[in-house]
Amino acid sequence: MTLSTTDTTWYPVASSTDLPLRHVFHGQLLGRELAIWRADDGNVNVWENRCLHRGVRLSIGINEGAELKCQYHGWRYANRSAGCTYIPAHPADAPARRITNTTYPAIEAFGLVWSANNGAGDFAFPGDADQDWLALRPMPINAPADDVLAALEQYAVTAEKGILGVATVATRLPGFAVKLTAELTERDHSILYFVQPVDSNRSVVRGMLDHAFPDVVEQLRRHNDGLKTLRDRLERAAARKPVPEPLSPSFEKVSVELSSMPEITIGSALTLRAVIKRKWATATGITAFELAALDGNHLPTFQPGAHIDVHLPNGLSRQYSITNGPGELLSYTIGVKRDLASKGGSEVLIDAVREGDVLAISEPRNNFPLRRDTIRTVLIAGGIGITPILSMARFLAKSNLPYELHYIVRSEDQIAFRDQIDALGANVTLHIGLPRQAVAQTIANTLGAHSFAQHVYICGPGSLLETVRNTAADLGWPDEAVHYEYFRNDRVIDDSSAFEIELARSAMTLHIPSGKTILEVMREAGLQVSSSCEQGACGTCLTGVMEGTPDHQDVYLNASEKRANNCMMTCVSRSLTPRLVLDI
Amino acid sequence: MAITLYDFELSGNCYKLRLLMSILGVRYDIIPVDFYPGRQHKSDWFLKLNPLGQLPVLVDDGLVLRDSGAILAYLARKYDPTGLWFPTEPAQLSEVLQWHAFADDITATASAARLALGMFYDFDLAKAQAGAHRLFRLMDEHLWFGEREGRDWLCASQHPTTADIACFPYVMLSEEGNISRMDYPAIRRWSDRVRRIPGFTVMSGIFPAGRAAAE
Repeated sequence: MTLSTTDTTWYPVASSTDLPLRHVFHGQLLGRELAIWRADDGNVNVWENRCLHRGVRLSIGINEGAELKCQYHGWRYANRSAGCTYIPAHPADAPARRITNTTYPAIEAFGLVWSANNGAGDFAFPGDADQDWLALRPMPINAPADDVLAALEQYAVTAEKGILGVATVATRLPGFAVKLTAELTERDHSILYFVQPVDSNRSVVRGMLDHAFPDVVEQLRRHNDGLKTLRDRLERAAARKPVPEPLSPSFEKVSVELSSMPEITIGSALTLRAVIKRKWATATGITAFELAALDGNHLPTFQPGAHIDVHLPNGLSRQYSITNGPGELLSYTIGVKRDLASKGGSEVLIDAVREGDVLAISEPRNNFPLRRDTIRTVLIAGGIGITPILSMARFLAKSNLPYELHYIVRSEDQIAFRDQIDALGANVTLHIGLPRQAVAQTIANTLGAHSFAQHVYICGPGSLLETVRNTAADLGWPDEAVHYEYFRNDRVIDDSSAFEIELARSAMTLHIPSGKTILEVMREAGLQVSSSCEQGACGTCLTGVMEGTPDHQDVYLNASEKRANNCMMTCVSRSLTPRLVLDI
Repeated sequence: MAITLYDFELSGNCYKLRLLMSILGVRYDIIPVDFYPGRQHKSDWFLKLNPLGQLPVLVDDGLVLRDSGAILAYLARKYDPTGLWFPTEPAQLSEVLQWHAFADDITATASAARLALGMFYDFDLAKAQAGAHRLFRLMDEHLWFGEREGRDWLCASQHPTTADIACFPYVMLSEEGNISRMDYPAIRRWSDRVRRIPGFTVMSGIFPAGRAAAE
């Protein structure tokens, strides 16, 4: 049988015991190198063995438990999705969504890890699935898989040295596999041998015993000795034959822009459908929702600070931050606060949406990225503002990076996600029932004077954000060290101005009349532009300004970004000059 | 009392001593010897220190020592108050020395392949590579059954010994001699354990392991 690099048969590629926590296994199937690693949640990842950045093997990288970190420039990839979550050389930016490594199907069953080329059908185990199977020590052999398989069929069994001690019957199974069966007095006993085609002239024999014997190690040694003899014989024979050409699997080329600085794309996010797996009251006035993909697969990669748009049954859409820790992609957990002033967003979710309901959500978007190159990170959350902050804390905790989390709540019963907060241990300081007039002083004591590589992240009500921003400024913290996310823009937008916009890349000039936003006019002109909150809070519609002076009105940009006048929000920002040239 | 190491940064044998001294918290000075391309280890002044013309040489309070394995034993006996790094119980001592000899075989094969490819030594590359694979197969099997028998290290001990230090560097540098360790998963797991020993230090070509999972 000729080996094909596009064969979609399932083959074992590692033993379960090859994958202790915090280790990366180096494997290969049909000429393609694999980096195989188990995350702390038990999930086994089978990935192409190269970092998308400079092609360095990920098998020499570091398994951080929920992310795999490349040894070369520290790019991190998420458990399950292999999406890039962090690029150290661009610590303030969220990596583009398309930076995702190639993954292969992976199943852990019967003590082995199985994989296949993409496009493989369902995994079927040729043995008795009810048996307890014991994986033998794998035996790498420098010989073609065909020869190994033929030798296994002839695998002689004698009373002294034999595998089972009695005569056996060999049966060829689909794929490169052989079953040896022996009739014992009590019942039949069988061994399965799978040949993993590593390359044209390299194979690994992975054997499985169908029941354990009293002295397991003794059994393993006996089988190991038998297979070593088989190996030596096969390798002597292979050495007499011409060496076959190695397989040359095709590799998808990494794009030029990926091998340099990835741009921050604010493309239109895809919509996906998610089912409410769990809904529960996590604090007084706060309901948590756990959303999972309909097909049970993992959800798209997110970075700490990211949010999703949730499209509600009443036609509205609302943004909610993902609270998850790194590599947790089987579901997203969000927290929703009952907001009496809301225009019907939170009310509908809390009152009308039940477990089992299906909602449309956007892919995660991150306008609140977290740096991981700091000497000190201060996280400050007020009330429901805990949601992105909790995710940030869990990422920092998993990577053992220094941080402190200050959680300001009115009363004990308003602490959301208590179990997750408690799991963070001594890094968390709870400020319960802090009098309003004491907030500024508490923040000042917490922050202290600014020094190199210190950053603060704040999420909470507008008044808290203003207090932290003012306090930080008074203490000498520069704008770029103060990161925040507003839920909404409470300012009244003045849309009375009228002006022209020139779209440099689209070669289009549009008139913006009073009462209409730039976003609306661009959409009427047929342009596809993404937006989310449409009130100048989330940053999704951020656009470069090439000429003219914008009238910002948003709460997303900080003061120095606004002064620079080189970007604006097309949903609320307008123009102070008769003409604006935008990078669209 | 002062220790001086005559050292070449890219030498795995010199790194063995840097590694053990780092783990034991022993302070030392370095005198660099330009092994390649300068061939200073064959210069007159160095041959007076070590007539064999080999690195490393370690001088401790006037005592001149050569041979990395012998110096590992010396450092462990002298500076490890626990006595665990180089046990003296006869059976254990013999086992450690067996692996020191095994480490020298790794040097003669895996390191030779690296010198042939990286520093243009006129060695039989294919023979060196085949020899290294033969040793790695034995070592992987030994470590694989060790995992089943509750033994994390090369010797039958609950604690690493100088045997692990002696074998570690040229196993880890084998890729530089074009010797893949893909077929030796138990060696790769053992190398994670070595790299997690408190006080572990790196050299060029040997990367740190991440943290172990919390117990």
